[in-house]
Amino acid sequence: MADANARLRLCDLQLAQGSRTVLEHISGKFRDGAVTALIGANGTGKSTLIQGIMGMLKPIAGRVECSVPKERRAWLPQQLALDLTFPMSVEELVMTGSWPSHGALKGYCAAHYRKGREIMARLGISHLAHRPLGELSGGQRQRALIGRTLMQEAELLLLDEPFANVDAETVEVLMRVLRDMASEGATIIVVLHDMEQLARLADETVVLASGHARWVSVESVLQPLRSAAPASFLSQAIGGVSPC
Amino acid sequence: MLTLLHEWLIAPFDYGFMKRALIASFALSLAAPPMGVFLVLRGMSLIGDAMAHAILPGVALGFLLAGFSLPMMSLGGILSGLLVAVLAGSVSQMSGQREDAAMASFFLISLAAGVMIISLGGSSVDLTHVLFGSILAVNTTSLLLIAAISSLIVITLAVIFRALVVECLDPLFLRGQGVRGSLVHGIFLGLVVLNLTAGFQTLGTLMAVGLMMLPATAARFWSKRLEGLIAVAIGIALVASTGGLLLSYHFNIPSGPAIILLAGVGYVFSALFGSQHSLRRRLRRRAAPLGAPEPH
Repeated sequence: MADANARLRLCDLQLAQGSRTVLEHISGKFRDGAVTALIGANGTGKSTLIQGIMGMLKPIAGRVECSVPKERRAWLPQQLALDLTFPMSVEELVMTGSWPSHGALKGYCAAHYRKGREIMARLGISHLAHRPLGELSGGQRQRALIGRTLMQEAELLLLDEPFANVDAETVEVLMRVLRDMASEGATIIVVLHDMEQLARLADETVVLASGHARWVSVESVLQPLRSAAPASFLSQAIGGVSPC
Repeated sequence: MLTLLHEWLIAPFDYGFMKRALIASFALSLAAPPMGVFLVLRGMSLIGDAMAHAILPGVALGFLLAGFSLPMMSLGGILSGLLVAVLAGSVSQMSGQREDAAMASFFLISLAAGVMIISLGGSSVDLTHVLFGSILAVNTTSLLLIAAISSLIVITLAVIFRALVVECLDPLFLRGQGVRGSLVHGIFLGLVVLNLTAGFQTLGTLMAVGLMMLPATAARFWSKRLEGLIAVAIGIALVASTGGLLLSYHFNIPSGPAIILLAGVGYVFSALFGSQHSLRRRLRRRAAPLGAPEPH
């Protein structure tokens, strides 16, 4: 990992929620074309770190260096800000992903609609194209949102527990699509709790505990689990600092 | 029969004042309902009402300084409307109080201040005119102003349309794209104020909001799509305007309340018989069988 290309780097980053410091001295880089899993117990600052990376939370100290253009960054938070009562169909949602190329004014051309339909086919939601967002299941909605990031040609994708409340088939589809995006060069950071999903999806892991972060290999996270010492794997992974 | 129809529906518009009233209300019917649709979708249905009160002190001051000068009264209305919107926004930001509470406080103060200013400088006739408007007294200058403001609203709305839709749906995504949601929101609120200012001459400050909200709330019973909502709302507003003017002419009743009451009839009818979520639909609700084609 050390010499790999990384368009996203954190340099001695300190982040706070209100007056409470949540994370400090976070330094490291996220490899291009890799899926990095962000793990840690509840309250260890996973969502805070994502907010910091997306620029929604100003660092107290240190900095986030990101050379991915702003319009190619996508974030799917755990608590969606999406207004599901708004009258919009799946296809229209996917098409809003053209914002980087089309902005507020440029009309969509046939080629873009074709691209939108291809994306929906890839996610298995073609038959839902005209269905209002409010009538979708959790899994269908998640696929539509990933469709928007594909339309956006996102190069940096941050997902906060994308597989929570999602059916097994959707998990399979999304994992495949995320792996494809990574192999096309996107940097993907995903908050995960499920170790099996982590084993299948992630290339590397960042473990958060006690306000610190540590970059570790997927294998070293999974190893303690396999050797039947699950309770202490986090503390081992971050080198003796106990999780809170 | 044809003569009767002509006499009832067409002949009134031979008069210049009826022609001007019709054109003015058509201009308002094209501009106001789309704003109403967005207000309803954003859960801000009552903000229109609050803003209608907020323009009153400015209109009253304009009236006090320049008499029945529409440009002056409109300018005053726009300024006080924007001022109240900004004040309410900043008070809620500084105090952490919800914006609707600040807005409610300011619009009550505005209403009282407006009525007080008019009472100090004019008669009760003037007060009635400002509060309830008189569409049948629209002159060419007013008509030009109303048409210009309505055109500006429609054009601006077209320009910010996609941004407004994305901001309503997912403000976070828009922010991620480097667009400030508050800017889009601010422009939209500015358009609401402009719209109410255009409407007060014809419908009065208290009624202008009716042509914005009633067609929009009624449209919710007919369409599930944004374009559909806007089209239905404009249709209802056009019918209510024409019908209201005709009723006003034939039965010698005030035009503003006639137009808004007709829009109200449209709302009640839609709530009872509309194709979406109406009472009729609830009573006859049946689920589509599995495998039925997707409704488009």
